[in-house]
Amino acid sequence: MDTAILSLLQTLAFPGFLFLAVSSFFYEWLDRKIYAWMQFRAGPLSAGPMGILQPLADFIKLMGKEDITPAYVDRRIFGAVPVLMVAITLTFWAVIPVTGAAGLVSFRGDVIFAVVAMTFFCILVFLGGFSSANRFSLLGAERATLQLLGFEIPLMLSVTGVCIHTGGLSMAEIVSWQAENGWSVLGPQAIGFFIFLIAAQAELERIPFDIPEAEQEIVAGWLTEYSGRKLALIRLAKDMELVFVSGLAVALFLGGPVGPSPSGMEWIAYTAYFLLKVAIIVSILAIIRGLFARARIDQMVSFGIRYLVPLSLAQVAATVLWRLF
Amino acid sequence: MSSSYERIFDIPIGPQHPALKEPAMLRLKVDGEHVVGVDLDVSYNHRGIEKAAEYRTYIQNLYLIERICGICNVAQTLTYCLAVESLHGKEIPPRARFLRIIAEEISRINSHLLWLGVAAHEIGFDTFFMHVWLDREITLGLMEALSGNRITSSYNVIGGVRRDVTDELLARIRKGLDELEPRVKRYREIVLTDRSILKRTQGVGLLSPADAVATSAVGPTLRASGIRSDVRADDPYSSHDQVPFNVVASDGCDAHARILVRLDEILESIQMCRYCVQKLPSGPILQRLLRRTPPGEGLSRVEAPRGELFHYILSDGSDKPYRCKVSTPTLANLPALVRMLTSKGKYVVNIADVPVILASIDPCFSCAARVEKSGGV
Repeated sequence: MDTAILSLLQTLAFPGFLFLAVSSFFYEWLDRKIYAWMQFRAGPLSAGPMGILQPLADFIKLMGKEDITPAYVDRRIFGAVPVLMVAITLTFWAVIPVTGAAGLVSFRGDVIFAVVAMTFFCILVFLGGFSSANRFSLLGAERATLQLLGFEIPLMLSVTGVCIHTGGLSMAEIVSWQAENGWSVLGPQAIGFFIFLIAAQAELERIPFDIPEAEQEIVAGWLTEYSGRKLALIRLAKDMELVFVSGLAVALFLGGPVGPSPSGMEWIAYTAYFLLKVAIIVSILAIIRGLFARARIDQMVSFGIRYLVPLSLAQVAATVLWRLF
Repeated sequence: MSSSYERIFDIPIGPQHPALKEPAMLRLKVDGEHVVGVDLDVSYNHRGIEKAAEYRTYIQNLYLIERICGICNVAQTLTYCLAVESLHGKEIPPRARFLRIIAEEISRINSHLLWLGVAAHEIGFDTFFMHVWLDREITLGLMEALSGNRITSSYNVIGGVRRDVTDELLARIRKGLDELEPRVKRYREIVLTDRSILKRTQGVGLLSPADAVATSAVGPTLRASGIRSDVRADDPYSSHDQVPFNVVASDGCDAHARILVRLDEILESIQMCRYCVQKLPSGPILQRLLRRTPPGEGLSRVEAPRGELFHYILSDGSDKPYRCKVSTPTLANLPALVRMLTSKGKYVVNIADVPVILASIDPCFSCAARVEKSGGV
């Protein structure tokens, strides 16, 4: 009975749904602050100390706004996409290790499970745009799918490199291997880390790869027809996806949450390490966002196929050689 | 491009669109990501300023004409004043002519910096946009010190300028220019070297010199196609024959060349301002003129930041103009814009290039809204 309540609490509160939601608001604030700092702006300022509650305020405000469903949309898909996005992120969050070497759910192959989440997200973007019956949404959906071609293969290969390097197919194995032998980013996986970050930027649809929702070209891309509650859910899902992808990068490349800690207090120390490392990844992603102009879709795909794929293949080859000798 | 018509559909850029700051309609025919046809309509914002000018006196009209365009308000009032002064046929004091050049060049720097920020925003480079607009504050501060207003300066009046400058103000202008110059040089370096800017602007919006002449493009759009044409040099209207400057041109013929031409023009303008501040003649700043203008036709043209600006005034001898006609540079650049947006042979326009090409002529549709429809140019 106790274990049932405990696991329910773990799923709903910590390190499950509530923790993910709260930390995703925090990291959106961090992302916006760093982006603003790069541009000599103040960023969020008024809600809470240093504007830290601004993402939450935005979310609540959007939830209260009028929710318009245009006449010609495919109602079922259009309405399901925001809910599914949140549901999928919450589901896949379970495999990310936060309080220990293993996540809430741990099994052999959960790395593959986590990577599949990215593709799922992209399919939802496509469905959302396609069901909107809007020209801009259609173009955005088309671009999102094309973009998937550009970044998915390098992303998978960079994760493959880690799996070969550590000899494990589950997060728990990878994290505990790193706890003994040092972070995998310090070996040949440094290239993999770099590729993973670029692919993550494309997956999260952020500059320079915010092509599916390029404001100046196609208004809001696949998001154009979404408003009110649905838009709020999509934005929440995107924030949670940012934390999810950063958490994945932490587990795969930065040694996960595991580190030195006083005995008996492991889960507090590990959570602190996790939050800190995710903050580092989010900062890197925010700085990338501030440094580039948006790429064109053909440039993005050819960049992925021409440079990222050979680079990630070379990295996998280097990892195999490193394992053999 | 493609023979099946089902694949081609319309994308409306406008009348309201994030890429447009003013209402205009670009109906793009697209095949996937490629633009195969374009139809342009700029008739959304007819403001009747020319008609309104007929009901106001020449002096009241100064403040109306100024509001044709906020960004090039100095060029607008200058052109209007030149047209009225040409009817009076009296000399304008040299000090006023030099002060007019200072105001005009500061507003040119201001306009080009604003444009550079917008261009960066159109390619999604918001950091560059914010940095450029922060430095634009320097020119706005100078304009405020010179005229009392940041944007709508009301500096030029018929017969001269409204306010004189003191030595402290001249020193402040010099200091502001010294502050601005290294920043602009840095931006030029970034534009020349940053790969993500190069990727988005090079080879985009090609306009061959022959096309530029055939479509009668003006201003930086024309000069970026390698044609050295500048009203300041060809038809010096305000002591420009006494101020040394180069007409900037580039052979790039694309959006990147247009960025470079404008950045080089900023550097040229800084030099011109410095020269005028240094060699500013003494004397009166205003030549008093009669309120009633002698009958006749007044014509003037000025190199506004966006290109050649043209004013025509028909006077019947009263204190109000009988007819006032304005032709703005954006109107002259629209045919060139349509040509740039149309794919031809190997030159393919992507949807992503449309905002860049649109921004590259520095459009001001509200100034140009004097036509019913310019589609199918």
